[in-house]
Amino acid sequence: MISEEQQDQAALYALGLLGADEDSAFESELRANAELRDLVRELREAAGDLALAAPSLQAPASLKQRIMGQITVETERVVPMPTQRASFGWIPWAIAAALAVFCGLLALDRVRLERQLADIRAADPLMQTTFFALAPSAPAPADAKATVAWQPGRQSGVIRISNLPAPQSGKDYQLWAVDAEHKDPISAGIIRVDKNGVAQVRFKPVEKAEHVKAFAISLEREGGVPKKEGPILLVGTT
Amino acid sequence: MAETSSAQQMLDQEMIARIGRRDQSAFSALYDRLSDPLYSLAMKMLGDPAEAQDALQDVFLQIWSRAGTYDPEQSSVFSWTVLLTRSRVIDRLRARGRRSRVVVASTEDSSTTVAGDASTVESAADTAEKNDEAARVRYVLNNLPSEQREAIELAFFEHLSHHEIAARLGQPLGTVKARIRRGLLKLRERLNNL
Repeated sequence: MISEEQQDQAALYALGLLGADEDSAFESELRANAELRDLVRELREAAGDLALAAPSLQAPASLKQRIMGQITVETERVVPMPTQRASFGWIPWAIAAALAVFCGLLALDRVRLERQLADIRAADPLMQTTFFALAPSAPAPADAKATVAWQPGRQSGVIRISNLPAPQSGKDYQLWAVDAEHKDPISAGIIRVDKNGVAQVRFKPVEKAEHVKAFAISLEREGGVPKKEGPILLVGTT
Repeated sequence: MAETSSAQQMLDQEMIARIGRRDQSAFSALYDRLSDPLYSLAMKMLGDPAEAQDALQDVFLQIWSRAGTYDPEQSSVFSWTVLLTRSRVIDRLRARGRRSRVVVASTEDSSTTVAGDASTVESAADTAEKNDEAARVRYVLNNLPSEQREAIELAFFEHLSHHEIAARLGQPLGTVKARIRRGLLKLRERLNNL
């Protein structure tokens, strides 16, 4: 049972309105009360939804380049190794020998962990998801885009499309998996966008696709075709 | 859930897990999905495109470096990133002492709150038309009892404390707390049932 006062505190906590002392006291209550934690989660989701009430704007394209550039730099940044100083006597050699043994043990442990990780990945298809970013090509609108999350282990995926207007009457959009071991793209079904040009659907290619290199969306005759005929509107690799 | 279907939540969580393993393609996909609503929120609170972009950059760098700390038990990925954004924006508002300059416009008339150059305004109108989820949230928010909606908007978008809201509205503190709580719960319930 949650009191009204706790509910009030939960709402203020979800909005980040409690002071540091109140925050800390409320977090102690949270740890001991599962029902209260559930309520806070619900209220946090409500707070998240509130963001969508802000007037809709598009983030400038240059911002993504800026951010991607920065994370690339951070990823590639290498911490320089400190210069080793030359020294004499048996102690440094003993330390070096001990380190060599230790490194050997670490290497063995790493191999073991990598094997375990590979086993876990093999057992859990969720860990084998590959993302494909699909970019527009004429005659698609320049701001049309799609993201595909592809799970080879499950032979299925989810595609999310935005800014792609519904096709003219008598036409449909069709999704294709481009697989290295198939001569022709494999149909992954018809995709229907809503009136806002948005679609989010699960799909499954009609044939096994174990080496997918790209996904593409083409404009085809209504109901789809077994082999791609129409123009490609969106295409992308990993 | 209003913003995210269960399939989308699964996708988001998978992207966050991959970002935790330093997967730039997952980061790029998550950026594509979240940047517009988060930028819109930052603009609503800051009212300045350059500052909103800086705030968003901080947020996404934080997502990149802290993806491993995301806890799905506490919130969806979308709500987590909204709260990160709000937190970074509030830091900026505090640091620059600019609370008095916050855009206060109502969510009922989105066209009056957009700051920026002409192309941004144009794309904003275009996006607003297309954004069904946002339209649902606005619809529900605008149909809450006005005193609840007012309290929530002051708390969320202006980051006024409950004490400040009580002072501004001339209402007892307990009344303001109850309005915020009831409004948030009603918002959630109606979005779930819509």
